[in-house]
Amino acid sequence: MSDVAVNPSVPATRRHLLPWLYLAPAVLTLGLWIYWPLIDAFRLSFYEWNMLPTSEPRFVGWQNYENIFALQKFWQALGNTVVYVVGLWPLAVALPLAIAIYTHDLPKRSRNVYRAIIFVPLIIAPVVAAAVWRWLLDPRYGLVNEAIGSLGYRAVRFLQDPKIAIWTIIVLTGWKLIGFSTLILAAANANINPSLVEAARMDGASRWAVIRDVRLPLLRSTVLFLTLMTILLGAQWSFSYIQVLTGGGPLGSTTNIFYILWDFGFSSLSVGWSSAAAVILFLGFGLVAFVLFRLIDRYSFHDN
Amino acid sequence: MTIDSALQAPVQAMPAATPRPRPRRRGQGRVVTATAHLVMVVLSIFCLFPVYWMVVTSLRPANEIYDTALWPTAASLDNYAYALKAIPIVAMLGNTLIVATVVTIAQLATGLLAAYAFARWRFRGDKLVYTLIALTWLVPFQVVMIPDYLLVSSLGLLDSLGALILPHVAGALAILMLAQAMRSFPREVIEAARMDGARSWRILWEVIMPNLRGTIASLAILVFISTWNEYFWPLLLSRSPENSVIQIGIQMFMTAEGTAWGPLMAASTMASLPILLIYVVLQRQVVQSFMKSGIR
Amino acid sequence: MNRKTFLLGTLACLAAGLALPALAQPIPATVDQKVTITYYNYNLASAGNGAEATKRLIAQFEQANPNIKVDGVGAAPNDLTARVQADLAANRVPDVVQMVFSDFNFAVSNLGAVALESIVPPAELAAHFEGIAPNGRKLGVVDDKTYGLAYTFSTPVLFYNADLFKAAGLDPDKPPRTWAEVKTAALAITRKTKADGIVTGIFGPSAGDWLFQGVVRSNGGATISADRKRLTFAEPAAVEAVAMLRDLYDSGAYTNLDVTAAMETMASGKAGMYLQTSAIQGFLVKGATDRFDLRASTMPRFGDKPQRPNNSGSALVILARDPLKRRAAWELMKFMSSKEAYTVITRDIGYLPLRTDIVDDPKYLGDWVTKHPLIRPNLEQLAILEPWDSYPGQNYKQIQKIMMEGAEQAVFGGTDPAKAMKAAQDAAQALMPR
Repeated sequence: MSDVAVNPSVPATRRHLLPWLYLAPAVLTLGLWIYWPLIDAFRLSFYEWNMLPTSEPRFVGWQNYENIFALQKFWQALGNTVVYVVGLWPLAVALPLAIAIYTHDLPKRSRNVYRAIIFVPLIIAPVVAAAVWRWLLDPRYGLVNEAIGSLGYRAVRFLQDPKIAIWTIIVLTGWKLIGFSTLILAAANANINPSLVEAARMDGASRWAVIRDVRLPLLRSTVLFLTLMTILLGAQWSFSYIQVLTGGGPLGSTTNIFYILWDFGFSSLSVGWSSAAAVILFLGFGLVAFVLFRLIDRYSFHDN
Repeated sequence: MTIDSALQAPVQAMPAATPRPRPRRRGQGRVVTATAHLVMVVLSIFCLFPVYWMVVTSLRPANEIYDTALWPTAASLDNYAYALKAIPIVAMLGNTLIVATVVTIAQLATGLLAAYAFARWRFRGDKLVYTLIALTWLVPFQVVMIPDYLLVSSLGLLDSLGALILPHVAGALAILMLAQAMRSFPREVIEAARMDGARSWRILWEVIMPNLRGTIASLAILVFISTWNEYFWPLLLSRSPENSVIQIGIQMFMTAEGTAWGPLMAASTMASLPILLIYVVLQRQVVQSFMKSGIR
Repeated sequence: MNRKTFLLGTLACLAAGLALPALAQPIPATVDQKVTITYYNYNLASAGNGAEATKRLIAQFEQANPNIKVDGVGAAPNDLTARVQADLAANRVPDVVQMVFSDFNFAVSNLGAVALESIVPPAELAAHFEGIAPNGRKLGVVDDKTYGLAYTFSTPVLFYNADLFKAAGLDPDKPPRTWAEVKTAALAITRKTKADGIVTGIFGPSAGDWLFQGVVRSNGGATISADRKRLTFAEPAAVEAVAMLRDLYDSGAYTNLDVTAAMETMASGKAGMYLQTSAIQGFLVKGATDRFDLRASTMPRFGDKPQRPNNSGSALVILARDPLKRRAAWELMKFMSSKEAYTVITRDIGYLPLRTDIVDDPKYLGDWVTKHPLIRPNLEQLAILEPWDSYPGQNYKQIQKIMMEGAEQAVFGGTDPAKAMKAAQDAAQALMPR
């Protein structure tokens, strides 16, 4: 892997420096705009302060963290987050995978049309999409329930029934994600060397065998990538819909860890709450990410 | 996942697969195709209908906004005229276009450079830096918004588009996606180029990048959209409508005295068109990336 | 003197120096040099009447005061306080702010709102206050000092659909006055028509607790004690109010809709009654034109107890530190709370006038009020308006959220009201300043 031995003409110091030069713009930007405030947030999470230079931050120790964990709906939010991730995965990974592969082999016209259609939800601003869905799903006057009613079933209270609301939000979030993931998977699919597929076909493999033995393994890293994204960002992706449509309700059934931390932390004017919330979110998901990365590494190792 | 394994595994698997010429089961094939078509049609309606509804609502007068008729009884462009008058849409669209374009190009550039560093070399601390970069993705912008606001203010950029652009010059998604794509790039090509005496810079721009067109195009689309639809950061920065972005403009119709849905949907429709255009233009690249074979 | 003492001393001087401008320093009698002041306003951040009317007022003010330039900064109501806070932290002190009432106390105790009595000569202040409804003036008073003047504000009003009333066999000229009557009317409407009985803007993240407070107070309760040290929303009077809402919901009279859905349901003629701020009147009227007969009445009472509405909306607050800017800010404030300004605010934006004498004066609102009777209940309640209580300390937002979550659980979630409110009160009391 390392090219140190292969290219002796390049001076040693430059070789060691080179990667860092390439990394510099990204690292500097992310370091300045994200890590520096985040590190500050670590510090501020132990204080109570209103951010103004005219007032002194007051040290309160672990109080902010205690307050957050003591919130009535905290554990419900945590549980809901798991539901969100599990519910989003089919829409964010499995279905787009099927669509990307299926449309790849279609004639160019229908492929482009289908992909464009799947993509269209992404162009609408989240707030507008939420408003339109709210009208469509209204229990008495929404088109969806009118259709359901004409088939003879009772109206479904999509956003008002505590048992159904979370699934509604999941489907609405998935509505945009399908296009997002299909695009990424289509790009990955397009990166697969067509001669591999040709070789398999010439060996007499059926279409399904080609998919199973050539495409899927090569798409595996992208699929893993998208799965990781769903686990780590699922709660954030549903935020706009929760905020506009349910406010975490009814009765906390649609809140998730991100929303509750936003509601009580980020959106409040109290720097202590907001910083503690940020730290909890970062460390919590950071831990999950760490565990997942490890698992992926082990799994890939075994595979070789 | 190691760099070469992805490419070698299926090639090695192929000779092992029994080359039985399978009799084509036509009936089964047709059922599968029919089901697939049905699924796609249902999906298409699911994806398109809300957008259709948005456009239809933008054509309805104020006292019919909540009607469920599939087409308004008196369709008119009044809402569009009102929206154009009430908010400086053209200025806002212009601002948003500038910001989204610059951010997209910047993230692609910084992403390519950083991804190259990860994909090409092994160096001390590379795993750590990679993880740290990936972790920034977990940090929702609201968390760092206020400190970034103070930073922007101290840089004197508060009333400028620069404030909207600077924090997004690099993005974790771009870096991760490009690193992923570069890792599966065939090693032999890079070796060959280096044997020819090419320096790292040339290898990146002339060998690797042209073959990542699909990934770059899809990334460009995604970054453009996410910047176009960004709301919280521009909201914090917006001081006057003429200098804000279109998302702020759309939400200006949500007032403390009620929301003007008709003009809002009209503004939203107008705001969606540029993105649709960008998609149509760039998506062709997503397909063609392996048409030119990179392996000599 | 060692280094530590020196540093501490410098810090102390700095702090004192920063605090000094907040102390009474006389402001010049007039604005004799050119000055620019910033005016943070949420109507400017909207599209429509609110923005247009505000821009006109600002233009009029600049014409009358050639030395003062007003730099309008638009920020949506939910973000306005955060923006003010961020700008203060960045050392860009806003001069005049249209502060939402829920954050008014925070502005006074944390953001450095200036007491008018400390900068304006008493004679000038008294002259300006003449004609202002005493109840209205009280809204901006904290600890006997006036920190703000109510600017765009309104009271909770019971809108109702006269056509649905007729269809349900009720008399639209005799709207329900008590909660018991509301229940009967709502049930009649749900039985005889397909519409909802009553919907409200009490619950929901954007609703805060302002309507809830009015309901609790109308039953003789309070959400916080008079000395602002104890939360009292789990006491019997408040619990009774919550139980009333619960009963209304259980009986089917009260439909649980979020704030936006409730507004739209009423505007499309599908709800019999709607309890909400009168500020959305214009929105409802637009939906009702040529569709149904929209009327309004005062907030329902609990039996014979008088209704005790509190206000929603905003107050103008001065945050400026420089004496010349303070004078300019005060001039702007005076203009925005003058008879002409309130005429525009009531007629063109849809809020209450702080100066009740313009209501019957044909030169100002007289004719308009006769043609727009919907504003009458709002004006009636101005005479009995009470201030919106906000919670002390830095955790005031969280306290409010916890209280409202408890109430929501009690009304819609099936939890016993006394238990739900007590649990919420205990949790919230822990967040009060010690």
